[in-house]
Amino acid sequence: MNPAEIPLKAPPNVADISAADVEQVERALIDASTRVPVLMFYTSAIVWLLIGTLLAGFVSFKLHMPDMFSGISFLTWGRIRPAHMNVMVYGWASMAGIGTAIWLMARLCRTTLRHPLLLVAGAAFWNFGVLLGVIGIVMGDSTGYQWLEFPGYASIVLFAAYTLVISWAVLMFRFRRGDTIYITQWYLLGAFLWFPWMYAAAQVMLFITPVQGVMQAAVTWWYGNNLLFLWFGAIGLGTAYYMIPKVIGRPVYSYHLATIGFWSYALFASWTGMQRLVDGPFPAWMITASIAATILTIIPVATVGLNHHMTMRGYFRLLHYSPTLRFTIFGAMCYTAFSALGVVMSLRSVARYLHFTEASIAYSHLGLYGFFTMVMFGSMYYIVPRLVGREWRYASLIKLHFWGSAYGVGLMTLMLLAGGLTQGASMSDPSLPFTESTQSILPYLRGRSLSGILLMGAHFTFAFHFGLMLFGLGRTASVPTFLNPVEAEHGGTET
Amino acid sequence: MKGLFPLFLGIFGTFAFSWVGLTLVPNFQIGHLDPQMDEDGNDAYPVPRSGMAERGRKVYIENGCFYCHSQQVRADYAGSDIDRKWGERRSAPRDYIFDRPAPLGKERLGPDLSNVGKRAPAEDENAPAAASAPSPAASPAPSASAAPSADASPPAEKNANAPGKTATSADSAPAGGQLQPYSAAWHHRHLYSPRSLTLDSNMPAYRFLYEQRRIGGEPSADAIKMNRREAAPEGWEIVPTYDAKCLVAYLMSLDQSHPLKEVKSAAAPPAAPAPDKTAK
Amino acid sequence: MNEKPSQRVRQGMDYGEHENVQDVHAAIQREKREPRVGLEPLSLWLICVYGLAIFFSGAYLGHYSGNFSGDGLDPMGGPPPTKTAGAAGTGGATTAELSPRDRGKKIFAANCQTCHQANGLGVAGQYPPLAGSEFTTGGSKRPAMIVLKGLQGPVTVKGQKFGSAVMQPWDKTLTDQKIADVLTYERSEWGNNASPVTAEQIAGLRKELASHPDSFVESDLEAVPADAELSGGAPAGAAPSKPGEAAKPAASPAPPPAKP
Repeated sequence: MNPAEIPLKAPPNVADISAADVEQVERALIDASTRVPVLMFYTSAIVWLLIGTLLAGFVSFKLHMPDMFSGISFLTWGRIRPAHMNVMVYGWASMAGIGTAIWLMARLCRTTLRHPLLLVAGAAFWNFGVLLGVIGIVMGDSTGYQWLEFPGYASIVLFAAYTLVISWAVLMFRFRRGDTIYITQWYLLGAFLWFPWMYAAAQVMLFITPVQGVMQAAVTWWYGNNLLFLWFGAIGLGTAYYMIPKVIGRPVYSYHLATIGFWSYALFASWTGMQRLVDGPFPAWMITASIAATILTIIPVATVGLNHHMTMRGYFRLLHYSPTLRFTIFGAMCYTAFSALGVVMSLRSVARYLHFTEASIAYSHLGLYGFFTMVMFGSMYYIVPRLVGREWRYASLIKLHFWGSAYGVGLMTLMLLAGGLTQGASMSDPSLPFTESTQSILPYLRGRSLSGILLMGAHFTFAFHFGLMLFGLGRTASVPTFLNPVEAEHGGTET
Repeated sequence: MKGLFPLFLGIFGTFAFSWVGLTLVPNFQIGHLDPQMDEDGNDAYPVPRSGMAERGRKVYIENGCFYCHSQQVRADYAGSDIDRKWGERRSAPRDYIFDRPAPLGKERLGPDLSNVGKRAPAEDENAPAAASAPSPAASPAPSASAAPSADASPPAEKNANAPGKTATSADSAPAGGQLQPYSAAWHHRHLYSPRSLTLDSNMPAYRFLYEQRRIGGEPSADAIKMNRREAAPEGWEIVPTYDAKCLVAYLMSLDQSHPLKEVKSAAAPPAAPAPDKTAK
Repeated sequence: MNEKPSQRVRQGMDYGEHENVQDVHAAIQREKREPRVGLEPLSLWLICVYGLAIFFSGAYLGHYSGNFSGDGLDPMGGPPPTKTAGAAGTGGATTAELSPRDRGKKIFAANCQTCHQANGLGVAGQYPPLAGSEFTTGGSKRPAMIVLKGLQGPVTVKGQKFGSAVMQPWDKTLTDQKIADVLTYERSEWGNNASPVTAEQIAGLRKELASHPDSFVESDLEAVPADAELSGGAPAGAAPSKPGEAAKPAASPAPPPAKP
């Protein structure tokens, strides 16, 4: 139903109806229409997050306690690790991202969500696909292509589910109102179009008409990095572009910066990926082209970072109160750190030490967790109250979640980076036995397990809190749940 | 930004650029390689795997061995792979043309395996070293001792492994001494109990690939001999399953030592079949 | 609806938040308006960052491009890229660039080395040596005959008896050029120092032996004078020198082996 067509209930005093009132009603209708599909995606995502966290803990502990469960085939490290990764990538991150993207799309297209059945079916199929894939991996059916381990039968289901989601997104665009397309929509539209393309291209080039030998690895990492940048990265950046100006109520600093940031991102980030195969059996130009593209991602990163920073300028005190803003800004800062780390690690002179070490795991986690997951948490803290009509119950739980996640991912990144450095240093010295490198990293792996416990605590806290909201146990106050009491002088501001 | 069309066009254009640039063009360059042969069509390398080795490759993939073990040797300017005797030359695209997937690996929590089959002790003892003519190790020239594989005698074996110090640096400690590193029996025992051979190993044991069964009549020839602590109880034995045998067959088949024309065989004098004859 | 209550700011109040609005839409009512975009211009230093990034990555790409070729695995371009002659079809391109002796070395490695060994010493009692062998280093006719048609039965080389192995005829497998190359190699390697052989000479001999049905035996060779040269003329002045090394610096005492 088009909100514009909805007759407003005649208020007592017609003269009092302002444009703002109409907008509020419109938003209320839109939010109500997105309730079921978005909550469905969010709930599934959080369930997968918990599963993935447990698997991650198992993977992490087994790295320094290798004899755990060594007699059970489906608990072997080499199967649980891809299960963890795929649960996180396709179960948690993708579903959370789609949930947020649906809500943002509806809001920004200023139209109620049409055909919610498409999305509900999409979510159901998606869950089914991930479940099928994870069971397949654990039973020993992995394809052996990193980030694409799901066996064929699961990939088909995932793709079908995605087709439902994308057809909905196209319909939404068709019915959008207003003729300006906001920055967030560029990123979301890009993500929605890029993902099926890269997924289909990788499936075709790896399974249907497989390319030869090392080209498979090239396609795998082309896909893997584009998934990281053009799917998760685009959704994450788009969300940040919405949440930051929305929460502080101020326009984004510069349209020009946003344009440059978006197009340079699309152009350069899509060329990265091969640097993960540095010094491998590939023509040098492929690797170097990706390294050069990684260096060029400085352009979008600096641009977007500056744009967010200037938007926030003067409003940083709000980080003290708003959970959404705090998670989002933390994510945006991690994005900058992630990109900077990516540039440094891609350089050949650095890669010859850090390639093949745990440092690449640090990089992936900084991107997928520090940046994307944190931005998603932020958006959930914003969106969920609007869907369930309740406020988050406990500020303390939000704080616990934030600090658990922030310290967890920080500790994990530091541990893996430092571990990667020692591992790389001892590996590149041929006078040391190889076992020296695997021994030298053990203390850091134990530290990583500690960070895993922090993250696990944070996730279960969040899931519990989300469950309260879902069952209508949130607060019914008219004020949002702030992290800290708002001081009087920052109280009433503009609407 | 106004108008969907330019947005669509840009989104497709940028991505198509990367797709063509990073997958189609390289595929055109290195995606259709043939095995290397000599001028007469003999001596093809690489050759497809078959039988147990092929099945072993599947076991290798499905248990995720490739997450910790790479199968690529970097050139001498990058990393110390060649110094570690993981290979005599860097890996080239042609080495992988029959692999699907190509298990290049991303991390090294375990040593590189590109040439682990090559490092196995030679099976046929000092036969005229003939069969593997192009293989540098087969050369009787004195300099060939740099290749650890050819020697069948245990003392020399230890010696040859010392400079590499790959996975077996500590193997002398717990009763692993009599097994020649990288022999089939060694692999089986290593898979069953990595730390009984290498104290510092971080590898998980793969006991689910082995079964413990009661000895019926004669003990099986392929039963794993463990030391006291881990040995099967009296009257029982530990035997590899078919999957384990395939996996070991696959590991023993890993060998990138064949020279390739597009890659210089590292600063490896042994690559020369013989001293280039007397000076004049 | 938007009637303003008294501004009672309490703990937990949001900026712009009022207490007694409808509960359900509270979140929406207090919301700031949908995001807009400002139009601030680019700053100069950002443009400098762009320039630096583009310059640095361009230089990096140029420096480590490996000549943008599919064979350039080495980012620095490495040694002069030898052509991928891997596929049998393109083998000719490489062959043309090598000296006859180098080509011969490869043919030897592929076909002869199995028995005669890389060091040319053969295997005692089975495969006769080529290094210092009177057959190899004498006139070019005898070795050419052996390679073309093979040899069986007992034979005495360098005073030692051989005979347990049979040498196969190569006239069907190797071209004239290849036989010439491998003979040239054998006759100039391992301290041997005899004249090179050309493809024309082999072609001549091939015609001459066309009617000879099977492998030679030692007595056939005895019939040919030990110093008989092939007809067709050796390259002028080539006899004592090693053709393969003509281009190499004469100073190096033991030239490094040619890379495969």
